[in-house]
Amino acid sequence: MRASLFITCYNDTLFPETGRAVVNLLERLGVDLEFNPKQTCCGQMHANSGFRSEAFSQAKRLVQLYRDAESVVIPSSSCVAMVRDQYPALFEELGNEALRREFAALLPRIYELSEFLVDKLKVDDVGAYFPHRVTYHASCHGLRGIHLGDRPFRLLAKVRGLELAPLPNLDRCCGFGGTFAVKNAEVSSAMLSVKLQDVFSTRAEYCTALDNSCLMHLGGAMHRQYAGMKTIHMAQILASTDSSPAEIAQ
Amino acid sequence: MSPGYHPVLDPTLAPPFTEAALPVLRNPQLRKNVAHAIDVIQAKRNKLVTEKTDWQELRAAASAIRAHTLENLAAYIEMFESRCTAAGGSVYWASDAAEARRIILEILRKENASEVIKIKSMTSAEIQLNPFLEASGVSVFETDLAEIILQLGEDEPSHIVVPALHVNRSQVREIFARRMGRPELTDDPRALTAAARDYLRKKFLSVPTAISGANFLIAETGGVAIVESEGNGRMCLTLPGTMITVAGIEKLLPRFQDLEVMLQVLARSATGERMNPYTSLWTGVTPGDGPQSFHVVLLDNQRSTILAKRVERQTLKCIRCAACMNSCPVYRQTGGHAYGSIYPGPIGAILTPQLMQMHHAQSLPYASSLCGECYEVCPVKINIPEVLLELRSQVVNQERRDMSRFVDPMYVGLRIADLLFSRAWLFHAAQRLGRIGARFFTRKDGWIHSLPSVGAKWTQTRDLRGLPDETFHEWWDSRRAKRSGEAG
Amino acid sequence: MTRPSIDSRTQIVERLRAANGSAALDREGLAQAYDALPRQYIRQGKLSPSAKIDLLIERLREYDADVVESTPEMLPATIGSRLAASRRKTFVVPSGAPSAWRIAGFDWKIDAGLDIKAIEDTDGVVTGASYAIADSGTIVLHHTAEEGRRVLTLLPDWHLCILRTSQVVETLPEYFASLKEPPQLVTWISGPSATADIEMTRIKGVHGPRLLNVILVCE
Repeated sequence: MRASLFITCYNDTLFPETGRAVVNLLERLGVDLEFNPKQTCCGQMHANSGFRSEAFSQAKRLVQLYRDAESVVIPSSSCVAMVRDQYPALFEELGNEALRREFAALLPRIYELSEFLVDKLKVDDVGAYFPHRVTYHASCHGLRGIHLGDRPFRLLAKVRGLELAPLPNLDRCCGFGGTFAVKNAEVSSAMLSVKLQDVFSTRAEYCTALDNSCLMHLGGAMHRQYAGMKTIHMAQILASTDSSPAEIAQ
Repeated sequence: MSPGYHPVLDPTLAPPFTEAALPVLRNPQLRKNVAHAIDVIQAKRNKLVTEKTDWQELRAAASAIRAHTLENLAAYIEMFESRCTAAGGSVYWASDAAEARRIILEILRKENASEVIKIKSMTSAEIQLNPFLEASGVSVFETDLAEIILQLGEDEPSHIVVPALHVNRSQVREIFARRMGRPELTDDPRALTAAARDYLRKKFLSVPTAISGANFLIAETGGVAIVESEGNGRMCLTLPGTMITVAGIEKLLPRFQDLEVMLQVLARSATGERMNPYTSLWTGVTPGDGPQSFHVVLLDNQRSTILAKRVERQTLKCIRCAACMNSCPVYRQTGGHAYGSIYPGPIGAILTPQLMQMHHAQSLPYASSLCGECYEVCPVKINIPEVLLELRSQVVNQERRDMSRFVDPMYVGLRIADLLFSRAWLFHAAQRLGRIGARFFTRKDGWIHSLPSVGAKWTQTRDLRGLPDETFHEWWDSRRAKRSGEAG
Repeated sequence: MTRPSIDSRTQIVERLRAANGSAALDREGLAQAYDALPRQYIRQGKLSPSAKIDLLIERLREYDADVVESTPEMLPATIGSRLAASRRKTFVVPSGAPSAWRIAGFDWKIDAGLDIKAIEDTDGVVTGASYAIADSGTIVLHHTAEEGRRVLTLLPDWHLCILRTSQVVETLPEYFASLKEPPQLVTWISGPSATADIEMTRIKGVHGPRLLNVILVCE
C-alpha cells in the first residue's frame, strides 16, 4: 500500500514530531510512504480570512502536486475539510474545466489520518501502547466538517494501557477558529476558558485530538497556567509502543 | 438601571464586534444570565428534537419550501397582495426603512391615532419605528413582557426570541417598581408577570390601533400568521379597530399547508416546545371579528438585493427562531449587544452587514470561529459558515482597494504568506528565518510567552511552543539521505 | 385609497423578478415545482384511536388543562359539574352554541354582538372547537358560530372547550390534510399563555384564559 503524506504547513513548522509519528506509525503498518518536497499549504488560512484568489492558487498547487498519488494522508481534519468543503466552490468560481476534473479525480483519494487507518487500512488496533489517562477533544472540522464519527474512539479504545476519560460538552468549539484566535482574541480566550473547565474536569494527563491547531490553543493555555496537563496529537499516541514510547514535547 | 451600560444597536454607530465584546466579557452577571438562558432553551430543544424522529425530514422540507419560495418570490408576493386585498386588507410596498416609517405614520394620521400598542416585531425594530413614532407625537406601548422590560428599562434587545435574557429578576423588579409605580413588588417572576398583566390590560382594552410584525405571510390565501406565547399578540390583533402589520418581503410561504412543517420546526427551535401556546392566523378583514381596518406594509430594505446573490440568498430563508444563537459558542460568551444590531448571533453576523450593503458591520462576519454548530441546528438549513466566508471575501475585496491595507499587519502578513506558499524554497527559507527570529522570543523552557504586534493577541492568554530546531521536511530529507547513504 | 408607494411596488417587483431571473416559473411550472418539494416527514399518525385520545389527554394535562371524558347523553351533566367546580357564576357562549350547554343555575350571556366590557365582565366562556391535535395537545378554533369570535376565548379567564373525539387527529399534517380549504381565521391553542422572559422561569397565564377545561365527548 502506497500513500503520500501532506504534512500541512503548520505541522511542518511547529509540530514535526506529529509528522514523525505519522511516518513511524504508517511504516510500522506496512505503508510505503512518500513525501512530495514541493508541498506547502492547503490554503485554509487564506480562504477563511476572505482571501479567495490566494486560497485558490494554493489549492491549485496542491491538486497538481498529488495528481499521481495513490492516496494522500493528512494529519489535520481542518485541512481535509478545506479540501472537501471549500475546494469545490473555489474551483467552480476560479478554476477551469481541466482543473475541476483533476480535483474531482483527487478528491476520493484524500484521507484524514484516522480515516486512512480505519477505512483504507481497515485497522483499529495499530499495536499502540500509551499507559496514561487521556481525554479526546473533537475538533469542529473533524466532528461536523468531515464527520469522523467514532473512528477516533475506535482507535483509542485499542491502545493498550490507555484510560479514556470522556470529555463533557464534546461538541462545543474550543475557540481557536484559525485567525479568529487572534482577530477576536478575547472572545477566543473566553471560549477557551470554558473549554478548559471541561478538559480539566476529566483529570486526564493528556488531551489529544486529530488537529494540532486546537491543541496549540488548548496546550498554550495549559502551559501558561502550569495546569499539569499536556496536549498531544493522536498520531503520537498511536505511534507509541513500549519499545518506542511517544515523543512528547516539553 | 439596565445591566450597567448603554449599548447601541445601530450598525452605523456600533463599535466593531471585537471592541464591543470587551465590557461584556468582563461582566460576570451578564455572562451568567446569557449562559443560563441558553442552557435552558437548548436542553428543551434537544430533548424534543431527539423525540421527533422525522426531524431531519422536517428540516429538509422546511429548507426546500423556503428555498422554493425565494426562487419564486415575485410570483408569490404578488399572489399574497392580490388575495389579501381581495379579503379586505390594504397592502403597501416600502423600498427602505424610511419609506416604511412614512407609510405607517401616514396610516396612523389618517386614523387620528395618538397611541399604538405593539406586538414584538424585529422588523419594526429594524426600521427603528418606535423612536420615529414617538418623535412624531405617537405614543408607543410595547406589550411583550421582554419588550416592556426593555422599554421601561431604556435598554435594548439582546436576543431575537428572548430579548431580555440578559436581565435578571432583581433588575426587572427594580424597573417595574420604579416605572409602574409598584414599590411593593417582589422579585418573584410570578409577581412580576402579574404586574405586567395588570399594567397592560388597560392598554389592550382602550388603545384602538395596533402594530405587529408577521411570522409568515401565506401567498395562496393572503393570510398572516403570528406565533407567540404570551397572548399579547392575540390581544393586539383582536381588540383594536386598526391593525398595521409590517413584514419583510421574504416572510412568504406558498400555501397554508406549509405551516404543518414550519410550525413544527419553529416551536422546537425557538422555545423548545412541541407547539407554542398561541398561533393566530387571519386573512384581511373579517366582519364582526377583530380589526376592520387592516394594513400590511411589505418591506424590502435590501432583501431584493440579497435575493439576487447566489450564495447570500439563503440568508433570507431565516424564520427567526434563534436556534443559531442558542447554539453558538461565541454568542454564549458575549450575548447579543456586542453584535451592534437588533439581529445578533450567527444570523445577525450574516444579515446585518448585508442590510448595510457591506458599508457597516464588516466586523460581524469575523465574529465566528466557523464551528458550524449553527448550520447543524438551523431548521431551514442555512449554511451560515458558507455565507460568513463569502462575506469575509467581500470585506477583503473592499480592503484591497483601500490604501490603509498596507499598514494592516493581518493583510500584509497574509499577502506575504501567500507568496511564501507559492514556492517550496520560499516557504522553507521563511521557516529558517522564522526559526532564527523566534529564538529572540523563546525562553529557556522552549516556549514563547510574549510576542509583539498581532502575535501579542495570542500571547496575552496563551504560550506558544518555540519553533523546533528541525522542520518535518528537514527531518525527512536527512532521514532519506541517511538511508540512501547506508544503502550505498 | 391613495398609495404613495406605487412606485416602490413596481421597483420592488422588478428587482424580485430580476433576482429570480430565468429560474422563475409560470403558474403551471410553479405548481409542479411546489408539488415536487420533498415531504418525507411523518404525515399520518400511527396510534390506535384510543391511544390517540390518551395522548391528547396526556398532552393537555401537561399544560395543566383540566380534562374529563363524557358521552353525548352525559354531556349536560358534565358541563354542569365543570361549571360548578369552577366556582364561577357568569359565563358567555357564542351565538351558535347549543342551548343545551346553557346549564341552569348560572348566569348566561349570549354573544350576539356584545360589547367588550360585557365580555370582560364574565367569569368564563364555553365554546366548541374545530379540531384537536393529539401529539402537541393543540386545540384548533376556526371561529365558527359554535366557537365564537376571537375575543370571546381571549378575555375571560376561564375557558371550557367541548370537543368530540371524532375531531381529534394525531399529527399536525393530518389536520391540514383534512381541510377542504384553508380557513380564514384560525387560533391554535396549545396550553395557557406563558412567558419565560424573566430568567427563563416559565410562568403560565399571562394574557388570555389562565384556566383551560376540556370535555372530550366520546362518540
